Amino acid sequence: MNQQLAGFAPTPMVARMENHGRTMLKVAMSTGQDLYARTGSMVAYEGFVQYEPNPPAVRQIAAQWVTGEGAPIMKCSGDGLLYLADYGADVVVINLNNDSLSVNGTNVLAFDAHLQWGVEKVKGLAKFAGQGLWNVEIAGTGWVALTSRGTPIVVDCGRGEDETYVDPDALVAWSPNLKVKGKRSFKASSLIGRGSGEAYQMAFSGQGIVVVQPSEDSTDRLRIRH
Amino acid sequence: MAREFQRGHKAKISDLTPGTDLYVGVQIAAPGLTFDISCFGLDANEQLSDDRYFIFFNQPKSPEESIQLLGAQSGDTESFRVTLDRIPANIHRLSFTATIDGAGQMSQIGPGYIRIVAGGEEVVRYAFTGSEFTTERAVMLGDFYLKDVWRFAAVGQGFDGGLEALLKNFGGEVAEEEPQAGQQPQGAAPSFAPPPQGSAPAPAFGAPAPQAPQPAPAFGAPAGQAPAAPQPQMHSAPTMAAPMTPPAGTVPPPAPSPYGQPPQQPQQPQYGQVPGQMPGQTPGQVPGQMPQPGMPSPYGQQAPVPYGQQPPGMPQGGMPQGVPQGVPQSGAGLQAALQPYRETATGQRWTPQNQQLMRVDLTMGGMPVLARQGSMVMYQGKVDFSYKGAGFAGRVVGNATGQEMQLMRCTGRGQVFLAEDGSHLHPIELQGDGICVSAENVLAFDESLQHEVRRIEGHGIPGGALFTMMFQGTGTVVVKTHGIPVVLPVTPTTFADCNAVVAWSAASQVILSSQVRLRRNAYPGHSGETVNLQFRGAPGNFIVVQPYEV
Repeated sequence: MNQQLAGFAPTPMVARMENHGRTMLKVAMSTGQDLYARTGSMVAYEGFVQYEPNPPAVRQIAAQWVTGEGAPIMKCSGDGLLYLADYGADVVVINLNNDSLSVNGTNVLAFDAHLQWGVEKVKGLAKFAGQGLWNVEIAGTGWVALTSRGTPIVVDCGRGEDETYVDPDALVAWSPNLKVKGKRSFKASSLIGRGSGEAYQMAFSGQGIVVVQPSEDSTDRLRIRH
Repeated sequence: MAREFQRGHKAKISDLTPGTDLYVGVQIAAPGLTFDISCFGLDANEQLSDDRYFIFFNQPKSPEESIQLLGAQSGDTESFRVTLDRIPANIHRLSFTATIDGAGQMSQIGPGYIRIVAGGEEVVRYAFTGSEFTTERAVMLGDFYLKDVWRFAAVGQGFDGGLEALLKNFGGEVAEEEPQAGQQPQGAAPSFAPPPQGSAPAPAFGAPAPQAPQPAPAFGAPAGQAPAAPQPQMHSAPTMAAPMTPPAGTVPPPAPSPYGQPPQQPQQPQYGQVPGQMPGQTPGQVPGQMPQPGMPSPYGQQAPVPYGQQPPGMPQGGMPQGVPQGVPQSGAGLQAALQPYRETATGQRWTPQNQQLMRVDLTMGGMPVLARQGSMVMYQGKVDFSYKGAGFAGRVVGNATGQEMQLMRCTGRGQVFLAEDGSHLHPIELQGDGICVSAENVLAFDESLQHEVRRIEGHGIPGGALFTMMFQGTGTVVVKTHGIPVVLPVTPTTFADCNAVVAWSAASQVILSSQVRLRRNAYPGHSGETVNLQFRGAPGNFIVVQPYEV
């Protein structure tokens, strides 16, 4: 029986974070190198790992993320191997090397606790939608894991002089140095977007990248604001 | 991301995956033919000097179990498990071959592949088809070979003779009609045979007999105790892991193997050590292996290797987990990490970016695109989106299903990226022919195509009728499916579930056939009636079915 499962044994870790398959993340934990992970994303762990939901540090940084409820982030510490997944979403592991990245709040899976991070509301968009778009800006040198519903695509924003327009529900991450603004691009406002009836895109301009997922599920079960 | 190899491509295994415990799958099939898929473990002279390393249906594993035949699974005709760091030093090349059993030739085979899976993820695949071959009866698919480090090469070289000729080519001999290596008791006897003498040009098959009868007191023990309770392992593990025992020798899960290791392996100290420790500690337990209750030592996680230092006080025993701070294979940094997901640019109007995302370049061809509303995830450039009533189609579909299918028309200059719910997208290019697509599965199409709605009525179809859109003309339709679809030729007996069928060629005729069946598992409210569509048509017609209903 075990032989049939041969191909699924974990490979030895050579880096702090690695993919196991497309949809599972494997993190090597050790004392002193804490990790922030999405609450409820742990699927398995080996060793001694402790979880602290809504730790004080997060509460401070993410105070404005939600009012009244805890931020959907837990702090993991200890020694061991930690396996994370988010309902079968594809996992993208990024090793930041003094880079910075803005990630849509629902697409954050895990990141090193020593990275600089902050939560902010995307400017200029609040007026368009009842649901604000919250993003986590992460910078420094360390590991970040994102989720994407389906295989994501990365587009260079500054390819032409034209702006890049993205459906906010499909947006995963972008370079923080891009200029962001909201845009209504549809003449009939009922054209696009499910539920809200609002039709808007986010327009990016400048030099940088935009990561988009091939799914526009705005009814994400983990969306904080409804 | 799996890498696609072409014939002749080579790569270091370490560049493909950090793992050394690999799954190798081979798919090869042809109507009416059966294949023997085998692995030859060759020495430095590319000779099969030790026939215990000819892994085939009669000898499913090598003595120390570094190469094992696993059988058909996961869509593979045959599969192997290869543990590279346990392969003895005299084996320099593993050649994976497929031979036709009986009459036939390689040109008859359909699309096939050899692939390597590590850590649950396919890391490389070499695909081939019958058109690359002619009258060959055997083909060498791919090789693992040792050149400083283990590497993989996509070979794809045909061989005129069958298995016998292939064996002779590798310096083996065919004892009888059938290679008789199978007379080795599987796994048992070879384990205790003295290690092969390096390059001893051992004559072919049936060899191990003289060496086998080494009475081995320890042998019974490991076999019996190997799956023992994981408990003792927890205590014994640290003691074992402490000396700098090379992982290759200590790790083998089903125990008896270390004795079969050839002496060339740099593991001398271990031999002295093992007997002494044997009684006290369940032999065969893998030092440093994570405790896996209930799972008797499957795939030795080679714990001592990756995790470096071991925190001594850790009660989990062999679970040292220093954080490896290696850099990913692709290099550090944001750009490197995202490189696999880069936009792929080709000079075409419709370009699949990946399985789930389609890019249409409106500047090419100059005609507008009609797309399902809400399917745009991103666009660049100056693109106008305008309301396009689906006309008759939308209204009919809308009336019947309560869900209006509305389209938008994309015009202008720029690139539009389309996707919906992560379903798989398939561009179908029509050149004067026609195709019927279930209305729910249409994502987008060129405005130049003529389309009309057809309605298939029948009792039992959800919503009262099945709506399909028929496209004709020249242009591209993008069809979305949940999961990977199957394309079937239309035969006199081709049926499909009306909820799962996606598309069919317009020339085939659809007949409704309902069956009433008493289904025990019919849920409340379900009539137990299933509606199937039967298709009739001339040869050459096809239907597309997705693995997802409704």
